Amino acid sequence: MTDQSGLSRAQVFLLYFVLTAAIASGIAIFSSASTITEMLQTATDGLFLPILLSLIAAFLLDPLVQFFEGEKIGRTGSIFIVYFLISMLILLLLLSIGSPNWEGMMQALKADFPRYFGRAIEYLNGLLMKAQEHFPFVKDYDLPEKMRESAETFLGLILIHTPKSAMRIGSLFLLVPLFSFFFLRDSRRLMRGLISLTPNRYFEMVLDIYDHVSWQLTHFIRGRILEALIIGIVVWMGLSLTDIRYAPILGVIAGVTNLVPYIGPIIGMIPGLLIALVDLGMGGQFWWILCVYLLIAQVILDNFILIPILISRVSNLHPLLVILAIVMGGKLYGVLGMIIGVPIVSIINIIILEIRQYRRTFSPHLQIISKRNEVT
Amino acid sequence: MNPFWSNIFRGSGYEDTLAYFLSTVPVFSKLKKRELNFLETIVHVRNYQKDEVIFEEGDIGSGMYAIRSGQVVIYTRDEHDRETEETVLESGDFFGEVALTASRPRIASARTTEQTVLVGLFRSDMLEAVRKHPAGAANILLGLTRVISDRLHHSQILIHELKRQQTGSDREHNQS
Repeated sequence: MTDQSGLSRAQVFLLYFVLTAAIASGIAIFSSASTITEMLQTATDGLFLPILLSLIAAFLLDPLVQFFEGEKIGRTGSIFIVYFLISMLILLLLLSIGSPNWEGMMQALKADFPRYFGRAIEYLNGLLMKAQEHFPFVKDYDLPEKMRESAETFLGLILIHTPKSAMRIGSLFLLVPLFSFFFLRDSRRLMRGLISLTPNRYFEMVLDIYDHVSWQLTHFIRGRILEALIIGIVVWMGLSLTDIRYAPILGVIAGVTNLVPYIGPIIGMIPGLLIALVDLGMGGQFWWILCVYLLIAQVILDNFILIPILISRVSNLHPLLVILAIVMGGKLYGVLGMIIGVPIVSIINIIILEIRQYRRTFSPHLQIISKRNEVT
Repeated sequence: MNPFWSNIFRGSGYEDTLAYFLSTVPVFSKLKKRELNFLETIVHVRNYQKDEVIFEEGDIGSGMYAIRSGQVVIYTRDEHDRETEETVLESGDFFGEVALTASRPRIASARTTEQTVLVGLFRSDMLEAVRKHPAGAANILLGLTRVISDRLHHSQILIHELKRQQTGSDREHNQS
């Protein structure tokens, strides 16, 4: 009897111990949940840009890899060939032309930025004075002061983020090739793995729709990136013909902002025009720069040549959707969100359109079947 | 023999691989080992429970299935939703191959009768294979064509036979 009670006491003790441990660990997990998400956030914080860039690189390199891939050369081998060729090309370019001095240009721009902005505000003040002569009620708006404030905060943002990103660029050179290598090699297997998770009944449909959507998407993304690249290079070339400084940076800005339809090109044009106005004045060169931005890059190249060739009209977005995407993207991820918001909305749009198209294409067949059943 | 003492390590294991199974399917029987290995990478292995519907009549077909293990019944429905069993397929059989080349609605339904493992080959993967490995894909498609023309041949003979019977019975009818 005593033996048994002793045993049960041990059991009770054990039970008590286990329960306490369970509760304690539960509380520990619960309290650390927020720190865990925080840790996840800090851990993945720097990864967003490398992953985005390597996805872009993978999308661009995929056709090249497919070109070399065949009976004799496996996928991995063809990826290595493409990498080798590209590094050779970059090396050749660096040897023959010499890299543009990005670092020095950034430093100079940082120093010059307040000057440009000051001049712009002066110019705007002048305009405003003129306007006030004609429309007295404009006086109430303190536009220049507001602009100066926002510009200063913007500059502060850039100043804070640049050293960080300069540190990051080093890791980008390492991470992006690595990531895009694996994206290139394993993306098919990854997607197959994901698709194979769908229930048997919907498997065929999901596979078919995935095929359509991925075809459209690769073309859309590749088209957009190529478009941005070509516009950037053309603007760079066009601006290099004038005496304007920072032509490479302005080209990059024009290319990147070109990813956002309707509004992007206008925004991308502003810094170039500003610098031109301050440094070169309202001469012939200014009009040439305006011509490069508007007529050559946007109207002739983009509208008449690039968009019809690279991007199908299917993926056109309503202007309202574009504005919404920009605003929402800006709220979520800041400037980067503004740039990638529109492409992401376009991607969703393409997916929806493709699914609808898929269903519409096959509804006549279904009608035939149902009719046949009615007849018999 | 007592399974405990039998030599389970004797087989090379090749008979258990997916590539070997594919080589036993008539559509792929003429493929070389290299092409079989390639085929292995583009097929999907799907597991089905007992009495699970694989596809319904009127669904948009997108590929063919081969039965690795288990049993599948092919049936059609009439206007009162009554099922007519068309055929029962066992392991090693294949079905739905017409949908591989063109997306047409299925003309019959398929359902498993026991736990079944199916190996599916679908049009989107086939199209990709045509782009990437034209020679191997051509051999797969040739096998498919062979099977479909065999079917056509058989049904042609059957139609002929039926016609002859029909005219024969008509003649008897007229004579009587």
